[in-house]
This record gives sequence, C-alpha cells and structure tokens, in this order.
Amino acid sequence: MSLPGLDLTVVSEERSSAVAPPSQITLSPGTEWRFEVAFGNIVRVKILTGTAELFGTELAESQTYTFTGTKAAIYTWHGCMLEISAGEMAMTTADGVAPTTGHGAGGCQSEYTAEETPMVEYANVHFALETMRQDAQATGKDGPRVLLLGPENAGKTSVAKILTAYATKVGRQPLVVNLDPTEGMLSVPGTLAATAFRTMLDVEEGWGSSPMSGPSPVPVKLPLIYNYPLPSPLDAEGSVYRPVVSRLALSVTGRMAEDDDAREAGIIVDTPGLLSSGKPGSLELINHIVTEFAITTILVLGSERLYSTAVKQYDNKPSSSSTAIAFDERISVVKLSKSGGCVDRDAAFLKIMRESQIRSYFFGNLVPSFTASSALALSASSTSMVTLSPHAQQLDFSALSVYNYTISSIDDDDEDEYDPSQLTTGDTFLPGGIGDDESQQQQQQQEQQDSDRAAPLPGIVGYAPAHPAQASTSASNVPLKKVLPPAPAALANTLLAITHAPNTASPAQVRDASIMGFLYVADVDPDKGKIRVLAPVGGRMPPRAMIWMKRWPGEVVGLVG
Amino acid sequence: MSGLVSDEVAEDYKNSLEDLTTNDRFQISNLTVIAKENTEHAMAISRVLENHIRSTPPPQKLPALYVVDSIVKNVGTPYTLFLGRNMYQTFMNAYTLVDSQTRRKLDEMLKTWKEPVPGSLDTRPVFPPDTTRNIENALIKARTAALQSQQARQPEILRGRGSVTPTNWSTNPQPNMRHPLPNQPPPTNANGHGFNTSTPPPAHRPDPNLDSLNRDLDALIASARTDFANSPFNPSSQQRLKALLDLQGILQRQQLTQDQLNLVRDQISALGTSNPLQNAPANGPTASGPPPGSTPPTQSVSQPLQQLLNPGTLAGLIKATAVRQQPTPPPQLPNALSQMPQIPQSSGTPQPGPAGPDNPLIAALRARGLLPPASAPPSLPLSGTGGPGLPFMIPGQMGSTPPAQNPQASNINSEVPMTTASIKMVALVVSLYEARSNRCGTCGRRFLSTEEGKDKKARHLDWHFKTNQRMAEAARRAQTRSWYVDERDWIKSREAGDDQGAADPEAAAEDAAADTAKQGPPKHWIRAPNDATLRNTPCPICQEKFESSWSEDVQDWIWQDAVKVGPRVYHASCYAEVTKDGPAPARGDTPQARTGTPDSVLGKRKAEDDSPGHKVRIKMEQA
Repeated sequence: MSLPGLDLTVVSEERSSAVAPPSQITLSPGTEWRFEVAFGNIVRVKILTGTAELFGTELAESQTYTFTGTKAAIYTWHGCMLEISAGEMAMTTADGVAPTTGHGAGGCQSEYTAEETPMVEYANVHFALETMRQDAQATGKDGPRVLLLGPENAGKTSVAKILTAYATKVGRQPLVVNLDPTEGMLSVPGTLAATAFRTMLDVEEGWGSSPMSGPSPVPVKLPLIYNYPLPSPLDAEGSVYRPVVSRLALSVTGRMAEDDDAREAGIIVDTPGLLSSGKPGSLELINHIVTEFAITTILVLGSERLYSTAVKQYDNKPSSSSTAIAFDERISVVKLSKSGGCVDRDAAFLKIMRESQIRSYFFGNLVPSFTASSALALSASSTSMVTLSPHAQQLDFSALSVYNYTISSIDDDDEDEYDPSQLTTGDTFLPGGIGDDESQQQQQQQEQQDSDRAAPLPGIVGYAPAHPAQASTSASNVPLKKVLPPAPAALANTLLAITHAPNTASPAQVRDASIMGFLYVADVDPDKGKIRVLAPVGGRMPPRAMIWMKRWPGEVVGLVG
Repeated sequence: MSGLVSDEVAEDYKNSLEDLTTNDRFQISNLTVIAKENTEHAMAISRVLENHIRSTPPPQKLPALYVVDSIVKNVGTPYTLFLGRNMYQTFMNAYTLVDSQTRRKLDEMLKTWKEPVPGSLDTRPVFPPDTTRNIENALIKARTAALQSQQARQPEILRGRGSVTPTNWSTNPQPNMRHPLPNQPPPTNANGHGFNTSTPPPAHRPDPNLDSLNRDLDALIASARTDFANSPFNPSSQQRLKALLDLQGILQRQQLTQDQLNLVRDQISALGTSNPLQNAPANGPTASGPPPGSTPPTQSVSQPLQQLLNPGTLAGLIKATAVRQQPTPPPQLPNALSQMPQIPQSSGTPQPGPAGPDNPLIAALRARGLLPPASAPPSLPLSGTGGPGLPFMIPGQMGSTPPAQNPQASNINSEVPMTTASIKMVALVVSLYEARSNRCGTCGRRFLSTEEGKDKKARHLDWHFKTNQRMAEAARRAQTRSWYVDERDWIKSREAGDDQGAADPEAAAEDAAADTAKQGPPKHWIRAPNDATLRNTPCPICQEKFESSWSEDVQDWIWQDAVKVGPRVYHASCYAEVTKDGPAPARGDTPQARTGTPDSVLGKRKAEDDSPGHKVRIKMEQA
C-alpha cells in the first residue's frame, strides 16, 4: 500500500514517548484535577500556589509528589496552580510490560479538570460527623460509627480517606476499618484491618505505611490485621467472613473502650463493593457488620437500590450499641453522590495494584524496576521512598503448621486455576478426619517445641482467645485444614500469613487470630521438604500457625528475581 | 475481512469505538490498525467515526478525535477524503462541547493537520488547507464573538438595571426603605417591595468608597477572627468568618458590578451593626436589590441567620439529606436555599419574617441566583447570571447539540462576577483551612495559630528534623518491615502524634501520672532483642515476660522498664527493688509500661480505666 505515513508509529508530538515538558494547570476554586498514571510511569505534581488536597489530605506547597499506578484527583477549595511533570520512565514494569505513557500532561494516561465534584457533600458529611464527635466528647457516648456502602468503583475508599483525612486534620483519631479483602489497608490484599489514624495520610501511598525498623517521612500507622484469604466475603456463605469480622469488631470495640481519642472520633468502615452488589447473602453480611460495629451512620454511594433498601431496614432504627437506648442513638442512612471521577479499574490494573501492595510490604515503597541512578535521583524528590530489605531463608515445611481454607468458591473461574492443588489438599467441607489432623498436628507441635524452643517475638505473650467459648464451639466447623507435608508445589509464589496464634491452636483460633506478618514462598523443594521464603524480618521464624493465602491474593509471580 | 459487508465492519468499529473512553494509546492505535486493514470500508468507518464523535459524551470526544487524527496521519488518503468532508461540523461540534483544556488539545491537533505528516515524504498537509482553514476561521470568529459578548455583558446588565429606577438612588441611607423596626439592619427587603424600587444606577462610585468598604471588611474579619479563635468550634463564628473571607476574596478580585457592591456594602453594614465593635459605615447607600429576573430574595433573606447559624442545625444535615432523598419528600421550601445541599439547615422550619440583626450574606447572594445549586433539581434554571453565558457561539453551529447542554463549557467562560465555585463552598471549610493558618511547609499539615498550635508546630517540625536525620542514618543500614502487633498490644497502643514531644509538659505529666501508679523509674528501656530465646526469657525476678512496644522515637520495638545487667534482662523496677538503689514502686501486672523519655512513644496517651481524677501530677523520680 502506498498510503502516506503508513509505518508511522509516533503519530504526533504529543504522543511521542519522550518525556513531556512540565505543564501547569490552574484550578479554580471547587474544581479538581483528575489523573491516571499507569504502573511503571511516574508523574510528579507540585503545588505552585494555592491550596490543594488529594482525597482530603492537603498537599504542601512547592513539595514534589510522585505518583505511579494511581488514579486520583487533586481537589482545591481555594484554587491553585499545579505543575505536572513526567518522571523518569521506567523501562519496564516488573511484569515486563512496557509502560504506557499517557497522552496527558506529564505523561498521565488520562487527566482533566472537573468542575462537578461531590466534595461539598463529602465535606459536609465530615462536619456532621464532627458534630457527632463533639457531642460524644461532651456526653461521654461513643463517636459516630460510619459504614460506607456502594458498588465497586463507587469511591468508597476515597470517601473513607477523605473523611479520615479531615478528621485527622482537626485533631481527631478515628479508627478506620477495612473490610475489603480485595485491597489491603497498610497491608497486603486478603486481609481485613483496623487502624487508628492520628497522623496525616500519605499523599502518595494511599493510607501510608505500617511500622518499619527505620524512620518514615510520613508517620507510620499501626494496623491490626486479620487474615481473610478469599476474594469474596460471600465465599462459603460468609461462614468465614462473619467470624473474622466479629473478631475485628471485638478488638475495635476493645480499643474504643480504652482509648478516649478513638472513642470520640468513632469508626469509619470501608466495605467491599461486592457487599453492595445485591448478591444473595450480601444483605445478611451488611446486617452483620452493622450489628457488630454498632453502626450509627450508613453512607451509601452510587446505588439507589441499596440506598432504599438500607433506608427501609436501618433508617431511624436504634443502633446496636449497648448505650443506644440511653443516648437514643439511631442509625441514619445517607445517600452520597458518586464522584464523576470514579473510574473503573479493570482487572489488570487491580492485579498490578495488588502485586504492588505485596511488593511494598516486603520491599518498601519503591518505584518498580528503577535503575540505581534514577532511583538515586528520585530519592531526592520523592518524599516517601523507603527501601526495605526482606530476608530470604529456607524453612523446613514439616516444622511449620500451615492451614488452608478448604471451601469452594462462588466464582468457579478461580477454581479452575487451582484445581490440581485443590485435589491434594482435599476438598471436603467438614472432614471427618479432623481429629486425626489435630493429633498429628499436636504431635508435630510437641516435636517442634522440643527441638525448637523458640520464643514469641517481641510483643507477643502468647495467644489468649478472648472468647474461649466461642472458639471451642465453632472449632468443629471451621473450614481450615492443616496442610501436611510434603509441601504442595502450589505453595510457590503465594503468601503465607503468620498469625499470632501458637501452632497448636485450633482452627477457630487460627481463623480468629490477628496477623503478625507475611511470608512469600519463593519456591518449594518437595524432595527435601524445604521451602524458600521471603520474610519481612530476619531471624528465626516464630512458631506460629500460618494461613496459606492460596485463594487470595493467590499467585504473585516475580516478587523474587 | 474484505468479505465483510460494510455494515458489519461499521458495527464492529462502532462497538470498539464505544469502548474507547480514555486517551489510551493502545486502543487508539488498535482502532487505527483496524481502519487501515479495512480501507475498502473507509466510507462506512468514517461515517461511524463522525457519528461517534457527535454522539459521545464530551469527555470522550477527544479520544475519538485522536482516533481520527491517528487514522488520517497513519492511513491517509481514503480517510482524509471521507473524513475531510464533514470535518468542519465534526470538529466544531466537538469543540463547542468540550472544556477549555480539551479545546487547547484540539487546537494543537488542528495545528498538526495543517502540516505534513511528520516523517512522511509527502509534503502535503494532513488535511487539505480548505478544510482546516474553514475551521480556523470559525474558531477565530467565535473567539472574537465570545470576547465581545463578555465585554458587552456587564454594561448591558447595568444599563438594564439603571433604566428601571434611574432616579431613586441616593447616597444617603434610606430609612424608609429599611425594615420598619428602627434598630433592624437595612437590606432585608423582607416585604419584597424594596428591590424594584431602589436599585441604584451603575453610578460611578468613587474609589474611596470601595476602599472604605475594604477597610470595614478588614475590621470585621479581624473581629470575626477573634471570635473564631475564642470559640473555634462554634459554627456560627466559623460561618461568619468564612463568609467574610469569601467576600473579601470576591472584592479583591474586583469582579463586582456596582449594584453588587451596594449589596455587599449593605451586608457589611448589617454585620457591622450587629457587631458592637464596629460602626456601620456611614457612607454606604443601603438600598439594594437583586438583579431583575433573578430569584427574589424574599424567602432566603427572611430566613433568619440564627437559624442558619444555629449550631444545632448542622446535626440536621444527615437527616435533611435523608429527607430530601426519600421517595416522597415532604413539601419543600420554595426557596432556593433549601435546595442547597451545602447549607446544613433544618429544612422543615422556615420562619418567614423580618431578618434578624445578622444579615445572611451568603443567603442573599444565593438568592440573587449567583450560584446554581450543585445538586438542585434540573428544573431549577441555571439562574440569571448563568443565563447569558452561552459564550461560545459557533457560526453555523448545528442546532442539534446546543452548547447549553454542557454546563462545563458555560461555566468556564461565563462571566459571572463571582464564580459559582467560589460561593458553592461550605462555610465550614474554613475550619479545615483558614482556621488553621499555620502550615507546615514540608508536609502541608496545618496548625491553629494559637499558642498551642505554635507549640505543636514546633514539635512537629522537630519531628520532621529528627526524622530526616534518622532517614539519613537509616540509609546506611538495611531496614525491614516490622511484624504487626497482636490484638492486645493494638488495643493498648495509642497513636503518637508527631506534634507531641518533649515540649508537651501537659501530656508528659498526664502520662507520668497515669503511669506512676504502675511504673517507677521512667528511663529504662532497651531495644527488644532479636534473638528468640532471649525474647522469651522472663524477668528473672518476677518471672513475667517482657512487653514490647513500638517506639516512634527509636523507630524500633523496645522493652520498657527493662534493664540489661550482664547477659540477663530484668525489669528495671524489679531490679531496682532488689538492689535497693532507687525507688521501687510496685509493678502492676498491666503490661503497658513505658518510658518517661521525653519523646513520644506509642502508648503515650493511654487512657486509664480509672477516673480522670486519679491523674494527679506526680513528681517524676529518677532512679
């Protein structure tokens, strides 16, 4: 063919892969700049004048903020001028995929200025909550417990961040609870978490970072983590999700009872979008959450149907807190508009995001695949880059007590991938041989304790279930089964969650235990019965029960080169 | 593919186009390749593209036009012909509907169309010059027209006003125009008769008036700030300060027409009279009114400010929101105010009547229709001010998609003196920003400008300094992620702010007091040993294990109240007791021991289960 410019790959200057020159964007008051940065790309944003905030957290003037793999919006109440520039290009992402440079300013995949934002609404929610907090302060009752509901990509987590950021800004310390296992909060996916936020959120890293051995430019947050290694709360009819949520609620209530700052500021509960999808069983789970956390305020984002259901069921009903009657505490259901900036995050993006969460758990908040020189250059400007050095070590698989959830998923797609290994671990819901397992396991424990008189790590005095009764009664029907040697090959490239429960604990205790950390299984040597793992901290592996996060987040390839 | 009917190709192409919602290079190049492979269906594809660009929502027009751009540059001839035919309509149609940023992009794209394809041997421009010239001319015309209409609008409004009552205006206060009550402030117009009789002409007010207005405003802001500092959580003072600051901003931008100035002056004088510190400006003409055609201010203005500012009404927000959204809402207030979601108010209790001494400035401005409500029912007109703003009239524009459909376009270019956004703001946002004017340059955290706020900021800056120092040190050694705490430690832990430090004697004393019952010498702590055996070894004296806690200061896990003597680790208090070399308070079994080291550690602001009365100040003793 003789058409002109046929073999042209670079179609215009704007779309060339060269680093775009810095561009300036002026935002008028009440507007926001929405931008998307692909993983592997880097966009730097600087406030030249005015004030601006990213999900409620104010950006400092003249400081450079670095974004990668982000879909976010910078809002301004007063107007501001931003400078956008492209960072050094990473040649490849960790997956070997060449990053797409966007066409927008600074190489954003997409960026535009929006005038219609629901920020006023969100801010007003904050002020309404603040009134309730002042009330709580004055009367001694508990602060507002907020539940965020809405379908996927409705902006629930963003609203949670905005409300948290505003609350910390006025000196409150809300407890933020993440009940979405698909995305971790200060942790990896496959976890539920609670954290008290007193200090600023990290502008670049979403929620911030959990404690590390070194300093962090943004104060670290101390999360309490529980394991839920399944993608959907509805898996196993919620029979796993429910008790873990209850356990988390128990801890949160315990904290509220002892920590006045937390009590006054209340709770903000973020939920998975699946709960708002109207699938069978989801309303029951919502009800469970409302009850367990004694929710007082339900914010429904972007779902008219759910809103009307929630109004019918909860609006103006007394909350489930013990003091509800004394204080005439009633649940209010409020509908919030979904921001037009909410974008669908496709499966690929979510997958990379999950992997990046896992990566930053072990390696810190580094931009993937950077050459040493550019990383050096970056450290000068990036405010939150901390490089962590995880420890690789070999573990004897037979000395570990690894549990696996043996439930069938609602999504059959997932099942296909994992079928081969599923066969080796057994698929029975309620294995009759659980007693055997127990005895075997105890035997093993015995051996291990003889040979390996290891101590718990600092901070762990031994696991004491707060609900022994509950633990013992439900022990029989917990779909947790011990993975016996030999180490299944499917362990490779998956995560193990180390619980705080001793390795002699019952399945129910393991399920309810909070999480101490995660191991990444780099590879499995079935012949020698050894596994090579990446541990966040060096030293001997604590003798704790572990949960195999086989189903979720599943396989993470390429974490260890 | 050549076997396919054009219709099928077109249908496929249409579907693919519909998936293109963002400026995605892959998708665009993909679509280009498809177009290239189906040049025999170029006409159908071109038609699909044109239709798509016409019908797709404005944010998606740019990507679609980029597809066109990519196709004409990469594929060329058949498409340039087909697409060129209707390019004027396609382009102008899109151009009218997109925001100014996209327009800039379109301009840039248009520029490249006048040049040859980069890298190509062909020296002809992408599109024939005729096509691009038409578009360019239209754009130039439109810009000129927009500019002229902007310039023309203001005088026009003023002329319209002045002609209504050209003679009525006087520089003297007009008590008879005021509310009958003598000590009521002027501009309420509660009876609804004031506004069409006393409109001032666009008189040429001397600048000194504006100056005095600014002076008055400054004084008011100063006093409002004082109020606010005294009671930072009082919504009424917040709102008032916010309103004043807003007003100041508006004035400084000098975007006000004369009669708007008058209105503002009235508001200020009203606020001034309500403020004992401030005299009403004597030179202010008081009569004012809304622009003709805008919402009569009666209801809004008559809404007493007390009601607006009543702290209790804030709590009604949630309820009000809920009420508003119920399927069968209660009869709504007919006033525009009730449709403003951003004003928390109890919508159920309108109180018509004379305005109180505080004049609801914001309400009045709203009532003038200067702000289209954010989520008001669509039936509510965009108000008088937005009305004239179809600023971008394209000559020859097809009527199918009037620009009015796109609020963005009209917002950007509309010459409303006060931008909608500036008034749309919540008055309370002031508590997040202006009230905390003391801003950390490093992280953007804000502090109150009070003494306490200054102290906190000083400590916060110390924290930054120390952290930076530690970061520099830490860069030399490997860092690791710490283990997460367990339930009990988490429940016992307390978030350490970065604003509490050595200089916080209050907290330290409280801390010490809270602790002293349980813990003695405050200075002893050691880093929690990494060795597992050592970690599990209890204190040889009391046989209790050690508790680890996270130290923000050390940035490591530490054992509080621990001392290492030789190879063994003891509780410092136990050790002290045994060796009798210091005070030996009984060590309780509450594990959360902590240091009195001046810097913050987690667990600092521990809430005790006993009553606060027990938190007496107890002198700290050194071991």
